[in-house]
Amino acid sequence: MTTIAVPVAPSRLRRVGSLAAAETRLLLRNRTAVVNSVLMPLLLVALVSGMGLDDRATGPGLLTMAAGFTLVFLTYYNLVTTYVARREDLVLQRMRTGELSDGEVLAATAVPTLLVTVGQLLLVAVGVTVLGLWTAPVDAVLPVLAVLLGAALMVVLATASTVFTRTPESAQITTLPVVLGATALSGLFFPLSALPEALATVARLLPLTPVVELVQLGLAGRTWDGEVVAGAELWGAALVPLGVTLAWTALAAAATVRWFRWAPRR
Amino acid sequence: MQPSVAPAPPAPSAAAPPVVEVVDLHRRYGDFAAVRGVSFDVRPGEVFALLGVNGAGKTSALEVLEGLAPASGGTVRVLGADPRRERAAVRPHLGVLLQTSGLPGDLTVAETVRTWAGTLTTPRPVDEALAQVDLTGRADVRVRSLSGGERRRLDLALALLGRPRVLVLDEPTTGLDPESRRTVWGLVRGLVDDGAAVVLTTHHLEEAEELADRIAVMRAGRIVLAGTREEIAETQPATIRFTLAPGDPQPPVPSGVEVVSAGPRIEWHTRALQPALAQLLAWAAAYGVVLRGLQARAASLEQAFLAVADADAE
Repeated sequence: MTTIAVPVAPSRLRRVGSLAAAETRLLLRNRTAVVNSVLMPLLLVALVSGMGLDDRATGPGLLTMAAGFTLVFLTYYNLVTTYVARREDLVLQRMRTGELSDGEVLAATAVPTLLVTVGQLLLVAVGVTVLGLWTAPVDAVLPVLAVLLGAALMVVLATASTVFTRTPESAQITTLPVVLGATALSGLFFPLSALPEALATVARLLPLTPVVELVQLGLAGRTWDGEVVAGAELWGAALVPLGVTLAWTALAAAATVRWFRWAPRR
Repeated sequence: MQPSVAPAPPAPSAAAPPVVEVVDLHRRYGDFAAVRGVSFDVRPGEVFALLGVNGAGKTSALEVLEGLAPASGGTVRVLGADPRRERAAVRPHLGVLLQTSGLPGDLTVAETVRTWAGTLTTPRPVDEALAQVDLTGRADVRVRSLSGGERRRLDLALALLGRPRVLVLDEPTTGLDPESRRTVWGLVRGLVDDGAAVVLTTHHLEEAEELADRIAVMRAGRIVLAGTREEIAETQPATIRFTLAPGDPQPPVPSGVEVVSAGPRIEWHTRALQPALAQLLAWAAAYGVVLRGLQARAASLEQAFLAVADADAE
């Protein structure tokens, strides 16, 4: 039996960082993508505040919308097309022949998109402050936690969606269930309390709704049905959406482990 | 078997335990059996070539070795470990060149190598890696702008970057010009001299003859012929050819010779080339006959390959 010598391996962070840095450099070389990343959030702030809509033109309302839209249209959609393009270009299979684990390859590929997600939300926060709409969040931890969990959920929803997405172009169709379906009933366009109770319950079980609920809960202290809460009551109200978010994450991660393909179908 | 012996340590030897062990490997896709019971092993300092026409199951077998796919049956050990389940232990010592693989087009050659090096335990210096494959002058060129041959050499640089003890090369020189091909052969030989074990697939017989210590010919998922190139060639009869002038007597046919053509251009096939030739020459000397265009040749690897590789399966 041959024994394997164990030299000191580079830290996980350094290994993933090396690939993530290359991916970020690739993004920065794509001028269209860079311009879009900066323009999108500025447009959102300008449009929504310009429309002078009821309570959504408030700071927390704007930030909640920005979080929801960015997570779906940028994080999720971008990652589906990126993973599929990398798979069809045979890059994923190649990355898999090295020392990185499967999870590390997927995580490193997601880094630039996640950086842009954070950058866009910060831009919106700055925009909100400039417009004089900023109000201190009722709970400072919950909105950040919601965005982090939401981003993690979008990554695994994206890897799971590659299973039924054959080309980057067909992502326009295959992402519709999340992009249209889940977003329409997320509470971003109208409050869920306007729905019949049974439908509202279903809506709250969709993947994006709990993330929107959590952001809104943390920023404005308002629950999905409009109740205003604070303190322990606020975290009590957060339990259900936290649970739904984690359940979707576990489900999408399991689907990824089971069905993710690293090479194009031959 | 004749492993090349290098002056540099660790000196490979036939007694070293195998670092690649494949026993009764099976691989199925649904109803289709791509690999049906393949066994071989490879020792340090040895090159093992899997030869076969397209679809013979070479790549399917290698994917298990590379840890990219599970076996449907049998066992595969690389450095004593399961390349898939113990991937983290095997990978720092395994270099893989896939038959086709992609790289992001908008990174430069040097950036690509640096990125890959950042993920490895014991990478070579980037400059050394580029020099190895003659890409030093192309370091700042984007991958998108490389020629097919240059991309293949970059692929190879990445496969060699971690100083692998086991190297799996799936058709390493397909699409390369003759000069690049020789560069690659030289590289592989250098690694083997330093004690690496190499498994490669090819459908270039010349490549197998040039590089491999041992060869296995695959057909329809099975190894149908295996051995050194001499052993494989010996499975086919040798050929004797000569032409007689009109009026010359007919030579007696030595035992063990099959007459393929009786003249005046005579062709014999035999598995006992030396005695048959000795008898023929003695006869010619005794009778003063001139054997015009006399040729005596052992079977080539190509002959042996063609005889088995393309024959109908089953």
